Amino acid sequence: MSTRETKSDILQGTLDLMVLRTLATMGPQHGFGLAQRIQQISGGALDLNQGTLYPALLRLEHRGWIRSQWGVSGNNRRAKFYEITAAGRKQVEKESADWARTVQIMDRFVRLAETE
Amino acid sequence: MLGIWMRIRELFRGTRLDGELDEEVNLHLEMIEEEFRRRGMNQAEARAAARREFGGVALAKEAYRDQRGFPRLEIFVKDARYALRGLRRSPGFTAAAVLSLALGIGANTAIFSLFHTLMLRMLPVAHPEQLISINRTGGWGVGTVSEPLYRQIAGRTDLFSGVIASNRVQKVRFRPRTGDREEYAQREYVSGNYFRVLGVQPVMGRLFSAEDNRVPGGHPLAVLSYDLWRNHFGADPAALGRTVLVDQQPLTVIGVAAPGFYGVELERRAEIWVPFMMSSGQVTSPNMWWLSMIARKRPEVSRQRAQAALSVLMRQHLTALYGPRYDAAFREKALGQRLEVREGALGLSMLREHFGKPLGVLLALVALVLLAACTNVANLLLARGAARQKETALRLSLGATRTRLVRQALTETLLIAAAGSALGIGLAAWGVRAVAGFLPEQAGNPFSNAPDLALLAFTIAISAGSALLFGLGPALRSTAVHPAAALRSGGADPGRPALRRTLVVAQVAFSVVLVALAFLFGHSLLAMRSVDLGFRNQNVIAFSLDFPRLWNGNAQQAQDRLMQTLAATPGIYSVSGAFPPPVMIGSSSDASIRVPGSERTVTRPADVDVTYVAPRYFETIGATLKGRDFDRNDTATGPKVAVVNEAFVREFLPGESHPESRWLSFDDDRPEGGERTGIVGVVHDIRQNGIQDKIVARVYVPLSQHKVSYPPDILVRTALPLPAVRAVVRRELPQLGAGLVVADVTTIRQRIDDSIFEQHLLATLGGFFGVLALVLAAVGLYGVMSYGMARRAGEIGIRMALGAKRVDVVGMVLGDAMVLFSGGLILGFPLEWAAALAVHSLLFDIAAADPVAFGGTGAVLIAVALGAAFLPARRAASIDPMRALRHE
Repeated sequence: MSTRETKSDILQGTLDLMVLRTLATMGPQHGFGLAQRIQQISGGALDLNQGTLYPALLRLEHRGWIRSQWGVSGNNRRAKFYEITAAGRKQVEKESADWARTVQIMDRFVRLAETE
Repeated sequence: MLGIWMRIRELFRGTRLDGELDEEVNLHLEMIEEEFRRRGMNQAEARAAARREFGGVALAKEAYRDQRGFPRLEIFVKDARYALRGLRRSPGFTAAAVLSLALGIGANTAIFSLFHTLMLRMLPVAHPEQLISINRTGGWGVGTVSEPLYRQIAGRTDLFSGVIASNRVQKVRFRPRTGDREEYAQREYVSGNYFRVLGVQPVMGRLFSAEDNRVPGGHPLAVLSYDLWRNHFGADPAALGRTVLVDQQPLTVIGVAAPGFYGVELERRAEIWVPFMMSSGQVTSPNMWWLSMIARKRPEVSRQRAQAALSVLMRQHLTALYGPRYDAAFREKALGQRLEVREGALGLSMLREHFGKPLGVLLALVALVLLAACTNVANLLLARGAARQKETALRLSLGATRTRLVRQALTETLLIAAAGSALGIGLAAWGVRAVAGFLPEQAGNPFSNAPDLALLAFTIAISAGSALLFGLGPALRSTAVHPAAALRSGGADPGRPALRRTLVVAQVAFSVVLVALAFLFGHSLLAMRSVDLGFRNQNVIAFSLDFPRLWNGNAQQAQDRLMQTLAATPGIYSVSGAFPPPVMIGSSSDASIRVPGSERTVTRPADVDVTYVAPRYFETIGATLKGRDFDRNDTATGPKVAVVNEAFVREFLPGESHPESRWLSFDDDRPEGGERTGIVGVVHDIRQNGIQDKIVARVYVPLSQHKVSYPPDILVRTALPLPAVRAVVRRELPQLGAGLVVADVTTIRQRIDDSIFEQHLLATLGGFFGVLALVLAAVGLYGVMSYGMARRAGEIGIRMALGAKRVDVVGMVLGDAMVLFSGGLILGFPLEWAAALAVHSLLFDIAAADPVAFGGTGAVLIAVALGAAFLPARRAASIDPMRALRHE
């Protein structure tokens, strides 16, 4: 068995919440920036295929949770910036609560195994 | 909501968005690269690391694009474009596929349209499902009731919430305003509650109430149909209160009925409604049977209960009506009548009785035709799939998924189906008109080309159904390819094309059924045509004069004068007249007689059919007569005479060698018998009511010696063409009196044709579909055989190189075709037998196991199979062994 610290795959459906939460706290970001932040926050423990961000961004935009705009990046390059909308903020709160509940439940099961 | 707008925008800006995505992705890659360079990698390392970090660039772009716009729609459009290109590249295939389908779908749509109109469509009235029709059945045939009986039935409010009465819709003279030119309109006499019970509203004015139909002749009122109001009065509100002349009766217009309502009779659209009390004749007489009834049943009353109650009511009514003063023979017939409750939601239709079952059979036939067409298209698609195997293999090995290829193939079938239905709908419109053309004029015509939602739904359903039927199998089969194997073998199909061979067997089986039915119907028609009607001159021209209701001339004189003029016209051999005229189905006339010396009439008189004829009747129609024809000396005041038929002699005077010496008397209610009527001739039995008429005892008497309530038909035996005779009649009409018209001038032959129009239609359409099925089967067989030959060219080459003769090769190919063909026959004959049993009741004098049909079908199919297989066989035999082997 490998002794290296393993990176986690992204759980299905969780990328949306990560993107939304990141945009909500860090403000408007371009794709690269967003990927950097997500990896920073995860402490480098996530195996993020950065290319998968783009379809996810389009999906969120279709739902009206984020919007995009062309702007200028830090090193003076044309880049597309993504920003969370009011509907997106509401969605973040809702999904965060859902997650908290799920984690709580899962936590109980995990501890059950520990006490035995 | 926002999403949809974005998607629609994305749909139209695909290329630009692709560019933007590229820019975004490139920027992202560069930024990662810079990051890695900062960490000390060289340029090449950084670039590779960036790619790794980002993941598959193409994959990400693809996933992104798949979400943009309406991905399914875009894929469909792309597939459709691809399919269109493919179809355009093989116009022969496309034409064959679309045409087969168009014929199948067109035939189905046309027949279903007729079936729907006649058998499924409900009257446009309130709650049609509550309606029943009440019919009289029994000794005097199916039909109408008298006004007193109607009133009795309408009084049963415990059973019905309303009962309406109407008489048959009639074409009558109509003048919108006095002074206007006389035209014709369809009039329906109705009861006062007619509109209320049906739940029809006026668009203007008011409709009838019970008060408008109380006293005979006392309600000169009319309600117009919406169409008539628009066409004759330009939808002018001033039409209200105006006086119109209907059949020379001045009537006041009180209202206009809702659009779309044309009365309760299916094949005749009413345009003017008049209270039935305005009808001429003894309206309220219990002996006048003239009203049809539709009732709205109370929901809590079952049909059985209504039927039982009406049976009791009818028995009481008849017993009271036909007391002992009527003679026994008559009473027996009269009291044998019943009232029968039937479905009423579809309206009244005479046509339904005759045409319903043939239409059902036709519906089954066209379903088979569609199946055959689908099989054919499936076969064509398989052939195409086989030819494209290499392309398919290449695409699969380049990474296309099988689902994608199947979807693409189905898109192609969908396009074919769509084109086929569009063309089919056009064909159907033409087909409906062609079938309606078979209907005799007096049958009316309920069929219109008006678009109908039910019809559209039907067409779409069968098109989609057939697309799946013919498309799915080939799509799955053609994409089940081992890329490597297919590419290596140069595109040849490994294994035998079993599916295609099965399809050809099915096609042959379908053709067997369709061709056999065509033979059965054709044979039946021939059998009908060869029935001896008992008279030779079927080209005799017949017509009747239509006298206006208020005619001040002498009808008898006018008729005699016209007959004399015609008789004096060069080219006309003889002129006579008769009531009921020959082959006039539905009119009959009977009488009670006694024949002195006959045992049959000792205790009670007998009922016989009577025909009233003018002089030279038997000569004119060409009947074989022993004794003499009637002539001008048989006058009203002269001795009463009669001619009887052979059936009469058999029944009343068996063994009599000189019937001309005997006499009979019309009973006329007197026990001792009426005036002495001398028998002057015996005529060979004539089927007076047409082909399906039973031969019964019949007495012919001179028109001049008896009163007849209807004008007789005038019969003309001539060498002149029909239009010439019509012209002579038209020219003569004004001299006879104003307002006279001549009703349909036709030949007796035409009337015979009209009387068997269903058979005619079945035979014609059956033949058409049979030929169609044969062509489809021949194309299928030919296709499979040629394909097989191409595949086995190498094998045949080797055989020939090893010494096989041409004859052997031809035999081998034909033998192969015969295997397929026999499979179809073995499958088809039991189906044919079942089909023949199902249609047996429609056949005239033909057994279900008709040897002509079975034998003929076998012979025709063998001929077609040999023909279809012969060309590929000959081609196989002319294979040059050297060339074939070298090609291998």
